[in-house]
Amino acid sequence: MTGSETIPWATAATLTIATPEGVLFRLPLASPASRLYAMLLDIVIVLGTVNGLGLLVYLIFAKAPGFGVMVITLAEFAIGFLYGALLEGLWNGQTVGKRLLHLRVIDHAGLPLRIEQAWVRNLMRVFDALPFAYLVGGISSLSSPLMQRFGDRVAGTLVVRQTPLAAPGEEFWTRQKYNSFNDYPPIAMHLRRAATPQLASLIQDALRRRNELAPYARREIYRNLVAYLQSEIAAFPDELVEMLSDEQYLINAAGVLFGHQRLSRLRG
Amino acid sequence: MILDLERFQTQARPRWSSLESLLAVLEGRPDHRMNSVEAEGLQELYTQAAADLNRVAHGASAPELRQYLDRLVARAYAELHYVPRTRFEIWQPRRWLRIFTVFPETFRKQSRYFALAVVITMLGCALGGLAVRYDPAAVDVLLPADYLRNPEQRVHEEEQGKHQDLHSAQVEAAFSAQLIRHNIEVAMLAAALGVTFGIGTALLLFENGVLLGAVAVRYTQQGFGLFMTAWLLPHGVFEIPSILIAGQAGFYLARILLRRREDRDVRRSMREWLVLIAGMSIMLVWAGVMEAFFSQYHAPVLPYGFKVAVAGAELALLTIYLLLIGRRKDDAEAHAKVHSESA
Repeated sequence: MTGSETIPWATAATLTIATPEGVLFRLPLASPASRLYAMLLDIVIVLGTVNGLGLLVYLIFAKAPGFGVMVITLAEFAIGFLYGALLEGLWNGQTVGKRLLHLRVIDHAGLPLRIEQAWVRNLMRVFDALPFAYLVGGISSLSSPLMQRFGDRVAGTLVVRQTPLAAPGEEFWTRQKYNSFNDYPPIAMHLRRAATPQLASLIQDALRRRNELAPYARREIYRNLVAYLQSEIAAFPDELVEMLSDEQYLINAAGVLFGHQRLSRLRG
Repeated sequence: MILDLERFQTQARPRWSSLESLLAVLEGRPDHRMNSVEAEGLQELYTQAAADLNRVAHGASAPELRQYLDRLVARAYAELHYVPRTRFEIWQPRRWLRIFTVFPETFRKQSRYFALAVVITMLGCALGGLAVRYDPAAVDVLLPADYLRNPEQRVHEEEQGKHQDLHSAQVEAAFSAQLIRHNIEVAMLAAALGVTFGIGTALLLFENGVLLGAVAVRYTQQGFGLFMTAWLLPHGVFEIPSILIAGQAGFYLARILLRRREDRDVRRSMREWLVLIAGMSIMLVWAGVMEAFFSQYHAPVLPYGFKVAVAGAELALLTIYLLLIGRRKDDAEAHAKVHSESA
């Protein structure tokens, strides 16, 4: 099935793959900045290896420095080229720098990188590195919707983010025994209908990151969110809202949006 | 937001876990080919996870769950649709040694791009040669290095053994490595510049041709044609064709990029491009060794006639290699193609 036709397209920093079976999935693209950091890490590793090898060669060829220079010149050149091509080709599309930053090179159809693609994209570095400091490659990445440098365009590859993800667990606001918002079914239903996925996600994130936020910032964020929900999305009665802290208001709203009791309670 | 997210997750989590476990096993054994039971199991779990992803994408505001399912489906999709080469296949020496037969085959197959590289280089040679022949002021512009501008001084120094101190095995080894590295870098750039739709490749080849033509005419004009031939040819018979093959790779890349996307057999083309670069690099290693260890010796240490004869022999071997190795296979393929067309 390797020849299957996939239809990739990209929106803001995301590649969407439509498979021949009609399945759609998204892959987050790596930003040029994270790629730059990974590359800098790789450069440090390559330079460290070359210098370590240089020291070894210096000791071995102490009496014949000319041969030492030959070995170092060729080794430095070979390591520079082989490091990226071999690691990416044989190690799941990752160099050490990419692995540390959770980046991975893949085929533009969402499949793993093939060995020849790894070679092509790494050989094309001689062009992407022009005229200095990867200027051509950088401009190419910034101007491409898939954030591809020229090497990626030729090889048909792209770099994606691959942070480890576990299946999301249950959140505490989905297990509330009593949620006062459910006492107002029409308003709660309106909240559920009117809240966009982005807004629901924002509320969830604000609650999850409670302990990461400074007290002042938390108060401000929660207050603004509550004000927005009350004025723009679903206005619960003032007598109820006055009794609730902003945090409790958001917990109740999240309970309405994500909680398992909501259907039965609302229907009831 | 129509989904009862918690109930949905509770019901689906066991199959996601099963899929994760199966993927972990398969990804941990890249040399393992799935049997039919594993493939069917994976296909079923993949289909279910894809359906779950579809429900989450359209029916729930759960970005983290969606990200998780996106990743899970992507992993399963890759495992189902991609057949990696096993490590055993990759490390087979015979596989890598095939480069020596595949390279001349590819060279012949894409020979029209080589011809284009030759034509552009020849144009550069003609321009460089004519400029030096008819405009003495052009010498300073076209031949920046002092040793290229003053052949007489150079030949005198070489024949008097003024650079004798450089002729030690160690210095030659270091020099050879630097030459190999520099030449391969320039040649790779010529091949990579194909991404500029061949314009960069053409400019690089033309510039190289101008320099070559200017040096040839300058030395010949001053009566050092034989010295120059004996100096440049022992390594030049490999170095110049290598640069031309790099140009061939560059033009081939430009052709691939210019072709309409659906017409491209990208995988095969990419392999051919890599084969040309690999072959050219091997040739440049030999050229670097010859330049450092052989070309820099002049008469009376090495008679010019001998050096030219060695260069002639190298050229003959290279020509035979590029034109004849794998020819039988080419003929067989052409024969099969004719048969299939007539059928």
